[in-house]
Amino acid sequence: MQNKHNKGWYLLFTAPLIIIFLTVVVIPFVIGIYYSFFSWDGIAANPKVFVGFDNFIKLFSDTRFLESTWKTTFFTILAVISVNVVGLVFALLVTSKLRTSNIARTMVFMPYLIGGLILGYIWQFIFLDVFTLIGEVTGFEKVFFNWLIDMDFALYALVFVFTWQMAGYIMIIYIAGIQSIPNEVMEASMIDGASWWQRLKNITFPLLMPAFTISLFLTLSSAFKIYDVNLSLTGGGPANSTEMFAMNIYNEIFGYGNYGYGQAKAIIFFFIVAGITLTQVYITKKREVEL
Amino acid sequence: MKFQKRTRSSLFIIALLLLLAACSDSDEGSTGKESNGDSDKASTQKITIFQSKVEISDQLEALAEEYTSETGVEVEVWGTTGDDYFEQLQIRLNSDQGPSIFSLQNVMEAEKMKSYVADLSSEGYAKDIAPGMELKVDDKIVGVPYGVEGFGLVYNKDLVKPEDIADYDSFVSTLEKFKADGITGLGLSKEAYFLIGHISNYPFSLQSDHYEFIDKLTSGDVTMAETKEFQEFGKFMEAIKVNTPSPLDVTYDKEVGDFAAGKSAMIHQGNWAYGMLSDFDIDFEVGMLPFPLMGTDKLAVGVGNNWAVNGKKDEAETKAAKDFLNWMFTSETGHRYIVEEFGFVPALTNIEANDLDSLSQDVLNASNSGQTIPWAQNYYPANIVPNDFAPKAEEFFLTKDMTGQEFIENLDDAWKNAVK
Repeated sequence: MQNKHNKGWYLLFTAPLIIIFLTVVVIPFVIGIYYSFFSWDGIAANPKVFVGFDNFIKLFSDTRFLESTWKTTFFTILAVISVNVVGLVFALLVTSKLRTSNIARTMVFMPYLIGGLILGYIWQFIFLDVFTLIGEVTGFEKVFFNWLIDMDFALYALVFVFTWQMAGYIMIIYIAGIQSIPNEVMEASMIDGASWWQRLKNITFPLLMPAFTISLFLTLSSAFKIYDVNLSLTGGGPANSTEMFAMNIYNEIFGYGNYGYGQAKAIIFFFIVAGITLTQVYITKKREVEL
Repeated sequence: MKFQKRTRSSLFIIALLLLLAACSDSDEGSTGKESNGDSDKASTQKITIFQSKVEISDQLEALAEEYTSETGVEVEVWGTTGDDYFEQLQIRLNSDQGPSIFSLQNVMEAEKMKSYVADLSSEGYAKDIAPGMELKVDDKIVGVPYGVEGFGLVYNKDLVKPEDIADYDSFVSTLEKFKADGITGLGLSKEAYFLIGHISNYPFSLQSDHYEFIDKLTSGDVTMAETKEFQEFGKFMEAIKVNTPSPLDVTYDKEVGDFAAGKSAMIHQGNWAYGMLSDFDIDFEVGMLPFPLMGTDKLAVGVGNNWAVNGKKDEAETKAAKDFLNWMFTSETGHRYIVEEFGFVPALTNIEANDLDSLSQDVLNASNSGQTIPWAQNYYPANIVPNDFAPKAEEFFLTKDMTGQEFIENLDDAWKNAVK
């Protein structure tokens, strides 16, 4: 009887979610796959021409798309490393017996609460005015100039701002992981005379594996899908040098009006993101240890 | 037991579906009733305007308010998005949330929106549109020009004399002189149209038949790199790059602000910039001169924007939208707004233009005396400026050793990419 009762409640609570998930994720996704086989300019009254797999074949000779793929990969590698290193360092810092740890925690987390668009505009201002000012005052003009109008540095600027935004969030995950490590283990190792580094390497990191799994997954997928910061900070420029995956798709669809071709890109994009993140979760999951 | 379990859960789902159905049903019912009510009394009719010109958004809202207080028809003006206006418009129209009145830049956009634009040929003001200025698709008037606009070198009369920029040589030596004085000779800004869009018109417009030239360019019969107007244009761009600070740091606001503050002697802008200039207390006179490509002394004058009505809305709304335009083009209030508040040089002959600002006056003078070259950009492939030209121009300004000729070759590539 109890079980039956539960099932009713279960349905009551999941059904709305399933319906929403179906209508805003699954159905559009299927329609998207359908569109990717057509050549269509996105205006309802204009004809859709069936082209089969042509859109997908065209992808491989589209240099702008391939360049964007490479840049997104490069950006993701840099961003995942920097976000996780910074997040982990902050997490270790604020869980040690620091007097200001609570304030520090709040401060580091704060940027995450600012929306990506606004953040991009704020940093645009910082790069334009503050950076050039620092450069003029200190004389380090080789480092402090407007990064956003340099074709190489614009990408680093994007990594920088993305790290600034995400690190606090990732830090919280690491803090939760660190706090769940039982004290006895730590104390026992201290009595055995393990150094700080040995404790970190042999106890903290292995027990943090679940947190690594989540953090890597989150940073990997959000770095791959980055759009808002990209749009407001660099707008893909200068000269398309920071045009990430998502922006390339947007420009293809709404800039050039190739709805079908853009959809094909989006489908490929989905498979890449899904493939990479699933592989990552699989690998890190295997390394998780149970106490 | 098992049977019961299943019936129970299916009952739940059915109940939920019914609930949802009931919700949507009642929704539809109520909106249906509302719209019925709308057509009965026009006073509750509502129209929406979505247009691309940022400079007039505040004034347009004021005009909308006046219209509402006069006729009771509610007019909602949507915020303008800037460079991606056409994309936004397309998204909204596709999702059936389009505006009743929107703006179209040129015939290429109108062709694309062919299924949406309403026929305005039978409207009373149609005959007043200045000859050749109306926007036509399939011989039907579908767009009414905002006004005629012109762009060129907006200059500070204290710093620059017309003979200083009469041809390539004098233009370059003027830029060099300003560089030595620490003044920006010619200011551009990083927005796609202000960086390359407008300025790229000249070599096209100077062709004897720019339509034909553009068609040939598209089919690959000619290239820009082998055309002498473009070669000289490349030299001009090179001179601008060498002698002025990078425009990629500069926004439109800063460009105009620097000019108003006397930090730059000239900017490449149109008569629309006067609206912002008048916000500053400028203590010098401004005027507009032609960009002296091939020594030309003609201003580029054309229609930048057209009002269009969404014909896919229900009849009452389409009619209300047409009424609004009719009121704007025929009533005194509408005329006053077009000339004084929007600062347009009217493209309708029934609107009198007095007390124009100095930039608009220069445009009107040029237009009246026939000293004009057309806007070739109205015949560019759709979206080519933000999509293809702007990245090439950014690359040009960032790469110190890129020559003007290389830049023109890049523009050739950009063109091929846009028409493929």
